[in-house]
Amino acid sequence: MKQKLKIVDLFMVALYGVKARRGRATLTSIGIGIGIAAIVAVTGISASGRADLLATLESLGTNLIKASPQAGFFGTQEKLPDGVLGMVERIGPVQEVTSTTQTDLLVRRTDFISEFEGGGISTVVTSPELLDVVGGNLSEGRFIKNGLGEIPVTVLGSVTASRLGITSLAEPIRILIENEWFGVIGILDELKIHPDLDRSVFIGYGVAKTLFNIDEEPTTIYVRSNPAYIEDVVEVLAPSMNPENPDQVSVSRPSDALEAQEAAEVAFTNLLLGLGSVALLVGGVAIANVMIMSVLERRMEIGVRRSIGATRKEIRYQFLLESILLSGVGGLVGVLLGAGITLGYTKYTNIVFSIPLLQVLGAILLALLIGALSGVYPAIKASKIQPAEAVRK
Amino acid sequence: MKSKTKTVISLNNISKVYKGPPPVKAVDKISLDIKEGDLVSIVGQSGSGKSTLLNMIGLLDSTTEGDIEIEGQDISTLSDDELSKFRGEKIGFIFQSFFLLPGLTAQENVAEGLLYQGIKREERLKRAAKVLEEVGLVDRLTHLPKELSGGEQQRVAIARALVQNPAFVLADEPTGNLDKKSGDNILKILKDLNKQGKTVIMITHNLDHAKKFKKVVKLVDGKIVA
Repeated sequence: MKQKLKIVDLFMVALYGVKARRGRATLTSIGIGIGIAAIVAVTGISASGRADLLATLESLGTNLIKASPQAGFFGTQEKLPDGVLGMVERIGPVQEVTSTTQTDLLVRRTDFISEFEGGGISTVVTSPELLDVVGGNLSEGRFIKNGLGEIPVTVLGSVTASRLGITSLAEPIRILIENEWFGVIGILDELKIHPDLDRSVFIGYGVAKTLFNIDEEPTTIYVRSNPAYIEDVVEVLAPSMNPENPDQVSVSRPSDALEAQEAAEVAFTNLLLGLGSVALLVGGVAIANVMIMSVLERRMEIGVRRSIGATRKEIRYQFLLESILLSGVGGLVGVLLGAGITLGYTKYTNIVFSIPLLQVLGAILLALLIGALSGVYPAIKASKIQPAEAVRK
Repeated sequence: MKSKTKTVISLNNISKVYKGPPPVKAVDKISLDIKEGDLVSIVGQSGSGKSTLLNMIGLLDSTTEGDIEIEGQDISTLSDDELSKFRGEKIGFIFQSFFLLPGLTAQENVAEGLLYQGIKREERLKRAAKVLEEVGLVDRLTHLPKELSGGEQQRVAIARALVQNPAFVLADEPTGNLDKKSGDNILKILKDLNKQGKTVIMITHNLDHAKKFKKVVKLVDGKIVA
């Protein structure tokens, strides 16, 4: 038999059912709203994070390689063989090389601070090229170049500067390294992929030798390679640096660390997505529950509709559509909420805002689907109510 | 009653048993012919089976035994969907508690009577306004049920039953929830409808009301006694 109830009328009837119980409809759709908001926010934030990471990698370049001696069995650092820089420079695709030497010189703001409170800041002896090779920038002052390596001046990593409470070099500032005063001539911007350098102070090789008798024995070397051959360079770097014991050299690409961090965030994202799905599931059950209650309460309405000519199918569609509407409203609110959260987060953390449209559409579809699934049982129940039973006094 | 008038509703030994435990025989082998333009009242105490009988005549309920023919159609051959459409087109129901949808205005409530006939909304509302005028509620179109008196609500419900121009009007204690004046008014509307040619069947336990109808069927324990 042909259905005579027009689609637009069916929609009106379902809308009437939702509108007639506004408070309940709102509460019912909250669950779906939260679930969808969580999913949209999580995908939005992770997409924004990814977009931002790509931008970061783009600016840093992925062709930087870092090599240092493998930490010894008891945490002692092995030395790299003499003349290691020269060996590395001879690798074809290597474009730039520089080295640093890690020391255990103690850093203090003033001599009022005891020598035992170093604060996790290490002193790194560096050659002038370091900043260019790792792609760093200065937020204040200048780097140790052009002979400044011979005199007691120092440059601070970004974390070091804030730990020591130094934000500006407008006034001359000195710090203590061991028991020698050093003038601060520069502060670095955050080096996103070198957290160890952010926590360092830098001095030149010349002054390290004259004041502390530290030789130019690199503990870390930084290499920029032709991007096309980066894998090959990574492969030959350790054997070139220490032909006898290549396994004593640890080679890494700092950009890998970022990517690993991203992978960890993906795992976290999946966890949040899982939680969002649970909220959706619970929301769906809440809708089913409310719809069943609604069917029981509205026997009169069902009876009247059957008496004025509604078929079972038309009753079924009415309740099914009502359930979909409930869930759809929740889904829509959830999408807006999730987009708002993403926008707030990206503004707060100052990263690129990006929400994948496909996932938003998917989220809305998911909400509608959940509404439909939740409505099936109540709708069938509604359509099975006998008209005579429904109009009983 | 003139013999040439044709029988439009024919009940042939119909029974209704509600499954127990214990099983209850609400209607017990009733046979009854209702002719075109009849004005019938069914009286009986509560539990006498009169609502069950009316629901079976109105195709809201099925029979356990026996056949019902309406306008020569054996309704046992109709599918559930066909029964729905038959009710929608041929039968107007009036209930004791009015059963109006609380969120809709009087006019919208009446227009609902045409919802399942595939008629456009504007046309439904237009026809609803016309029928409301006929029952004297032309100034109540935009009122919600809660803003209307009991008598007015019942007149809206009658308008909803009439809007699709049914051949039969079935009323289940339509005056049961009303004061005497409103009740008399409803009764008059039903009699007027009958004068216009509709077949009207009303349940009541008010014998005074019943006596105003041409034909009175008295039920006791699911059987016709008069």
